[in-house]
Amino acid sequence: LNNKIKQLLEWNMRRSIIRMNGEKFKTYIKSGPRNYSVIVMLTALAPQRQCSICRLVANDEYKVVADSWRTSQMYSSKLFFAVVDFDEGQDVFATLKLQSAPTFIHFPPRGGRKKADTFDIQRHGISAEGMAKWIGERTDIHIHVFRPPNYAGTLALGFLLTLIGSLLYMRRKNLEFLYNKSYWAMAALFIVYCMTSGQMWNHIRGPPYAPRNPQTGEISYFHGGSQGQFIVETHIVAILYVIFFFGVLILNEKVPTTDDSRKKQLFAMAGLGIVIFFFSLLLSIFRSKYHGYPYRCVIKLVFLYSVRVRVEERFSLDLSLFFSLLIR
Amino acid sequence: MIAAEKSLAGFKSLLVIIVLTSCCLLGFASRLFAVIRFESIIHEFDPWFNYRATHHMAENGFYNFLNWFDERAWYPLGRIVGGTVYPGLMITASSIHFILNSLNISIHIRDICVFLAPIFSGFTSLAAYGLTRELWNERAGLLAAVMMAIVPGYTSRSVAGSYDNEGIAIFALIFTYFLWIKSIKTGSLFWSSCTALSYFYMVSAWGGYVFIINLIPLHVFVLLLMGRYSKRIYIAYTSFFILGLIMSMQIPFVGFQPVRTSEHMAAAGVFALLQAYSALLFIKSNSTAVNLGRLILFATVGAAGFVFLVVVTLTYAGYIAPWSGRFYSLWDTGYAKVHIPIIASVSEHQPTTWVSFFFDLHINICMFPYGVWLLINNINDERAFIVLYAVSAVYFAGVMVRLMLTLTPVVIILSSIAFSTTFDKYLYYDEDEEEGDESEKEKKEIVSPRKRDKAKQKEVTRSKFYIGDVGANTKSMVVMVLAMLLMMFAVHSTWVTGSAYSSPSVVLASSNPDGSRTVLDDFREAYYWLRQNTHENARIMSWWDYGYQIAGMANRTTLVDNNTWNNSHIALVGKAMSSNETAAYKIMRELDVDYVLIIFGGAIGYSGDDINKFLWMVRIAEGEHPKEIKESEYFTPNGEFRVDRLGSPTLLNCLMYKMSYWKFGLMQMDFRTPSGYDRTRNAEIGNKDFTLDVLEEAYTTEHWLVRIYKVREPNNRVKSLQIKRHESGIKKKTKYYSKKSSKRKRGQIKKKLKIVKGKKLRKSKSKGKKKNL
Repeated sequence: LNNKIKQLLEWNMRRSIIRMNGEKFKTYIKSGPRNYSVIVMLTALAPQRQCSICRLVANDEYKVVADSWRTSQMYSSKLFFAVVDFDEGQDVFATLKLQSAPTFIHFPPRGGRKKADTFDIQRHGISAEGMAKWIGERTDIHIHVFRPPNYAGTLALGFLLTLIGSLLYMRRKNLEFLYNKSYWAMAALFIVYCMTSGQMWNHIRGPPYAPRNPQTGEISYFHGGSQGQFIVETHIVAILYVIFFFGVLILNEKVPTTDDSRKKQLFAMAGLGIVIFFFSLLLSIFRSKYHGYPYRCVIKLVFLYSVRVRVEERFSLDLSLFFSLLIR
Repeated sequence: MIAAEKSLAGFKSLLVIIVLTSCCLLGFASRLFAVIRFESIIHEFDPWFNYRATHHMAENGFYNFLNWFDERAWYPLGRIVGGTVYPGLMITASSIHFILNSLNISIHIRDICVFLAPIFSGFTSLAAYGLTRELWNERAGLLAAVMMAIVPGYTSRSVAGSYDNEGIAIFALIFTYFLWIKSIKTGSLFWSSCTALSYFYMVSAWGGYVFIINLIPLHVFVLLLMGRYSKRIYIAYTSFFILGLIMSMQIPFVGFQPVRTSEHMAAAGVFALLQAYSALLFIKSNSTAVNLGRLILFATVGAAGFVFLVVVTLTYAGYIAPWSGRFYSLWDTGYAKVHIPIIASVSEHQPTTWVSFFFDLHINICMFPYGVWLLINNINDERAFIVLYAVSAVYFAGVMVRLMLTLTPVVIILSSIAFSTTFDKYLYYDEDEEEGDESEKEKKEIVSPRKRDKAKQKEVTRSKFYIGDVGANTKSMVVMVLAMLLMMFAVHSTWVTGSAYSSPSVVLASSNPDGSRTVLDDFREAYYWLRQNTHENARIMSWWDYGYQIAGMANRTTLVDNNTWNNSHIALVGKAMSSNETAAYKIMRELDVDYVLIIFGGAIGYSGDDINKFLWMVRIAEGEHPKEIKESEYFTPNGEFRVDRLGSPTLLNCLMYKMSYWKFGLMQMDFRTPSGYDRTRNAEIGNKDFTLDVLEEAYTTEHWLVRIYKVREPNNRVKSLQIKRHESGIKKKTKYYSKKSSKRKRGQIKKKLKIVKGKKLRKSKSKGKKKNL
């Protein structure tokens, strides 16, 4: 036993995560006696396995946890982190009857594994904090996750700033574009549309892009309730908003600057059509999400107005009232 | 000719007054749904505390209020109320009460509290009118006033009965901005002092004043960057900053924060920068050197960097507190979820979906980007301000639903500018064509600008508004369609206000299949029971949501309430709720709890009950007591939270579960469902037959919505050792045999065991033999 611990500690000196194959796994983890816990990540890192989560997410987060453990003050021989790659230890996968990767399993010092000794990715999520919490639950060793400060973001920001700065310096003779109001307006509108279409919600909640129904294979573009949304839905809504904006823009700025009278009329009608059509579209999407919303879209009413058809019963009372007021 | 013009001007101002008055009335009237449907009652949770505090102030006077130590909250800690509230709301209400009473108009303070927010909504639309007029023109201002009166995003927090800080704070916010624009435009000391006074009112009313004290410096800073510095800005900002700083420090709750926290440092930094810049300009004006421009630029940049460094150093040295969690979570959006579960647990602090933007602002959310576009393309000093306001507010509203409130005014202002510009263009006729009068009120207000401006338009603004020969039909169609969109907005607002924002949540209403309403008054029933049947100093434990209501309506001592200042105390209550009976009893005895109050919606299908909030209790408790409470234990192995047979045993045996479902298993609501069928979670409960040892049921309301339990006194008889042994896990090796049976009398050893070295004593063998015999 002492030899084993010695060996493990020695490996740990070199790397925070001990790489194992089938044989090592058997001697150090599978067979007793042990007085230490081992967390094993079973993964498939080889590119041809096409497990992008294993390579990009799980590996890094796991390393963060292991590093925090190795550098923490409580570091002892009670807990080791190991990794088994599918290509090096297929027999391990076979003995554990595993079908999927990555899987995190805790091997307690004594006694058999329980169900909760397998890390539930669905519940905890693949994050170093979630893993540390789970390890704390299973082993009573609370690892304070210490992430190495991410210099990449700062570097990228600095790079961007220097790029912008140097560009400005290069073009210092010609800084007119900074005074271009349209650029500034576009930047402001970009922020406005990002927020009003709910991109911040997406950023915080991380909804699926456009989930596919597992039974029918149908792709749903809109979330059924008013409490949630899909990413594709917010993109659609943002595009509708932008088109609506262009409708208003045509009405206000294209029409007065056009010379020809007929063209003016055409532009005015086009702008108006865009405004009505896309607002109605938005309203109908809203209606499908907000159940019990009583008001219909105006699109049909306007259509009816233009062809002078009588209002039908199926339109809600309020609007038909307005409508009758309008055509009077 | 002059007389005609004069009469026209008189007519114009009369019209403006009429429109604005009707705006106030409209704003007031549209907020009365709850009063008409139910009664004049305070809503929700926080307003109950505000009402209680106002009542205290009205009875005991202002100074007693400032020194008020409330021993009936946060038992056993108590709470210093005077120093931990924004007193503006209470002062406003009780001074109105005082004035009315001294005029011999006797009115109960409650009615003032109920109707305060609707009254202030009228002031808000006046302020919106003023602000928009300063920014664009009067026509847009009138439209903004009308829309401000009915927009759902603002109505949501200002219906009658919603007696909360936001109700008056939005008025103070818009009014401060209006005055700020005024002072920027005029550069007069009068207006900037008014700005500071209005800012003082805002500080006394709402924590959101931080938004003002960061936005105005940002505006000044951006103006500096744009090279729009002028003496007016210098006068306006410096006087506002100094006066505002001194006055804001008079509020006890704010205290020294304006000089000690990072939230306020931007204002101080810009103040210093402005001094440096104007000093440099002064030097420049007095020097004869020709090429000082570059030097000034570098000196300014250097000064800015220096100010920034000083603030950073002071923060590191600990003289300035870093950003507090609540504000920090606005920047780092993942922060609250990880570190402050109590903030994340409130539904108002969730991010905003596009649906809620649309729900609260309707057509304006589509229209206001054009307003942004217009203002940026016609930028000047004050328009830069509103653009900054729009961009920052839209970001904050995206992060937190609650801040939709600050976004709403700017959206209304910008969209009314956009609408008004379009109307200006399409309502302008070269010929004096008359249009039929519109009977619809909204319509009238929209059309009215045209009439008023008709005289001027011809000479002055022909070139501005004239869009050429489009054709009368096309023009009228455009106008009609836009008017129709506005009408849809009016209809939408009315519907939203009536259906979504006017429920008092103290009284619930449900509609029957035949369309009639049933009023569920369980909350007040339970609170009144507490008021009548418990000892005056009884201590009630409940989840913090109901703390204010218990204090306000039942007038009993609570352990935790909606002022969530002490996380560990809340976690202790959460721990009591989520542990088993013995552990919970220990905590409850430690905290001297007499009664436990819970909300249970399973009998009528009310979804906001304590079982649905339960996970937050567990999470908050886990944050403080990670050893005892583990969130994962309350889930099934599949990670589901369910109360039926498959639910986790920890959940099925915790105190909250037992209190919620005590004797619920015996009740069959419906012949189609089994007994003990929870209608909120649509499940038959998993643990029907259990005992409740440490609590006894004291009261359950008509629809089971509120259940009150009395904590039992400890037993007179000390529990015997037997139980202790049982608890400690030592199992008795042998069965207990009665001494009275004939065979096994004392002193006899039947089949004495033989001791053989190296072998275990075997008893079973002898038993087996016995059987064989």
